[in-house]
Amino acid sequence: MTSCDNGANHPDTPRTGFLYPHVFSINHKTIGLNYLWLALFSVFLGMAMSLLMRIHLVWPGVHLPFLSSLGNSPDRFAALTTLHGSLMVFLVLTAAPQAGFGNYFLPLQIGAREIAFPTLNLLAFWATVASLLGLTMTFFLSPHPAITLWIVSVAIFCAASLLNALNFSVTTIDLRAQGMTLPRLPLTVWSWFLNAILGTLIFSILLAACVCLLSDRLLSTHFFPQLYFLTSPPDGAVVNAVPVLWQRLFWFFAQAEVYVAMLPCFGFVTHLVSTFSRTPVWKERLVVLALCGVGLFGFCVWGQHMFSSGMNPLSPLVFSLLASSLGLPAMILLVSWLGTLWNARVQLNTAMLFALGFISLFLSGGLSGIFLARHDLAAAAVSDDFVTGHFHLVMGVAATFAILGALFFWFPKLFGRRLNEPLGKLHFWITFAGVYCVFMPMHWLGLIAHSRVSPGTPLASVAVAGSAIRTFITVAILLTVFAQGLFLINFLWSLFRAEETDECNPWRATTLEWSVSSPPPADDFGPSDPVVYRGAYEFSVPDVAEDFMPQHIAPEQGTKVRESGE
Amino acid sequence: MPGTATFPDVEPVVEDIGGGGPTPPPGGGDGGDDGKRRRPGTPSPNRYYTGITLGIVSILMFFMALASAFLVRRGTSGDWVPAHLPAVLWLNTLALIASSFTLERARRSLSRLDLSGFGKLWTVTTGLGALFLIGQLVAWRQLVTQGVFMASNPASSFFYIFTAAHGLHLLGGIGALLYVLFGKFDNAGLRLPTAAEVVSYYWHFMDGLWVFLLALLYLGK
Repeated sequence: MTSCDNGANHPDTPRTGFLYPHVFSINHKTIGLNYLWLALFSVFLGMAMSLLMRIHLVWPGVHLPFLSSLGNSPDRFAALTTLHGSLMVFLVLTAAPQAGFGNYFLPLQIGAREIAFPTLNLLAFWATVASLLGLTMTFFLSPHPAITLWIVSVAIFCAASLLNALNFSVTTIDLRAQGMTLPRLPLTVWSWFLNAILGTLIFSILLAACVCLLSDRLLSTHFFPQLYFLTSPPDGAVVNAVPVLWQRLFWFFAQAEVYVAMLPCFGFVTHLVSTFSRTPVWKERLVVLALCGVGLFGFCVWGQHMFSSGMNPLSPLVFSLLASSLGLPAMILLVSWLGTLWNARVQLNTAMLFALGFISLFLSGGLSGIFLARHDLAAAAVSDDFVTGHFHLVMGVAATFAILGALFFWFPKLFGRRLNEPLGKLHFWITFAGVYCVFMPMHWLGLIAHSRVSPGTPLASVAVAGSAIRTFITVAILLTVFAQGLFLINFLWSLFRAEETDECNPWRATTLEWSVSSPPPADDFGPSDPVVYRGAYEFSVPDVAEDFMPQHIAPEQGTKVRESGE
Repeated sequence: MPGTATFPDVEPVVEDIGGGGPTPPPGGGDGGDDGKRRRPGTPSPNRYYTGITLGIVSILMFFMALASAFLVRRGTSGDWVPAHLPAVLWLNTLALIASSFTLERARRSLSRLDLSGFGKLWTVTTGLGALFLIGQLVAWRQLVTQGVFMASNPASSFFYIFTAAHGLHLLGGIGALLYVLFGKFDNAGLRLPTAAEVVSYYWHFMDGLWVFLLALLYLGK
């Protein structure tokens, strides 16, 4: 049942030197891994920045050797915030789940040997590297050239993401193995595919906005004149009307970008929950529809960021309704996860813990999102900290949990070794408690900040409570960030020292990537193309020796196994 | 020049596009194997068609973002000074529309296996594309001599950015036309008729996009 092609019968592509196999390889697995390395570097850099920001916020006077000058002035602090956000959103949340895991596993899961356009894929990767370098460089420049470089870097990232999205869509549409019909696609592939379609549409918008913005900065045009309002408003311009143009273009991208980060995570979590519950995904087709719904609604709710921008009075109501409608597909996903878990023999390994952690964080973050979707409540009752707490829980941390779950799940396939489970579980529990301690109080902080302007509240008591909460958050961040050291130790130790495993399917999973050796051979599937005979989640199948049926096992082989099992 | 010794194996391209999607194997309850499996490791040529279609959608979104910005910016500001479109633009448009016709004529020659006719018409198409670009440069030059620059006012900024973005995309199209003309094709990888058809999708799109942009600039001034 767990038969796999170990690649012994067919030679690997010759690999000599360092540059060809690692830097200029057009193999989808190498490029996928390179994206993951890039994301790992960025996530630790971004995390270190968040730590530095919190320290400056709570203990402004403290002197940190070498680091104090990085954030102790308003300019530097703003640069720190921008760089933290850019790295995390672009290089981690967008690059890791989609470009990283997607590049490595999408072709493997659909039975393709390569991505549709490998050279474009390599180009996209190097454009992403250039974008990372540009974004990081901005930190060392003075504000004016830094902002220009930042916009150029984001534009390059957009171009790279467009190439990626194009590659993923075409690969899924045209390169599926024989028998891999749409209903048989794993939900991870569905989420990568839908995400790619969404990416094709939105990254063009941001690219166009970046082009106009760059033209304003470098060629003295006035596409977005409000940027100069503070110093010299141009004659005749209608104040408050023109900024809407930039806001529309930006939020059209940025709100959908949230779902670009989340969609693959939904796919990972559904996949992990099913695999480790040993149960088929509950209402699998409805989940696919819900993923489509997330993409569709996510594309239509940009206006919810612009309630106070002087838009048509009816628009907030429409956007508010659309934003609230996002609750429907989210609810379907949640019910499906719980339905899959219901009465299941759940295997609580680290990957599954991270998937369950994602569900918890998604639910908590989603609840505060309902407040923000109300156009009247959002403006009246909450301040920045509430929003920060909300989107960090639901987008930043929840997505990171899904990425970590996926890493624990696929690590044996990526490197032929397993991550340490006890250390992984310890890392999970500290991080899980830590992020709740960091981001839940931020919601309270947001509400308290508002109460400052309510009549009759003693200002001093509000200030004291706010300050205590800020200190608590900073201590919690310190602990959470240092807990990531456990992950780093686990990762590096497992990568170099853990015992090599020759199992091709340690989790007894059903999808095609587990039918080949770990790590997979250079040409993925050996001499013959894989053939798919069934859906991706055939767990707990009755009358079968083991409790799962891999997608590539022919029915007659399945019968043999069934007989031998009896 | 166009065509190589391997070319006479050409088949009508339409057969490549249709169908799509893999055939379910027997036993899964989804139908049977029709024996049309690809050779191991050979990706489907359909990817070129899907790729160009999605690429076109993506480029369309880019221009739609600019077009919506144009309409919003025009309606909400008092600093808008309408620009006079240079007359040479109409000639350029004629050249571009003519190039779409010659391109289709070239593809018809190709389907009749008339390689020399294909080569001539394809070269004319490329020439008309280049003529369009030169004409656009002439239009820019005329505006500059009238004192209308990129930064003069929002209307001129949009004119320059529309023409520049479209021109760059069209330059890519000319590169693709030249690739079809001089590139080497074989039946194992990308075939000449496939390449010609894929490039024709892009070229006609660029043509239609220019007509749309010109209408926008003309009606929106």
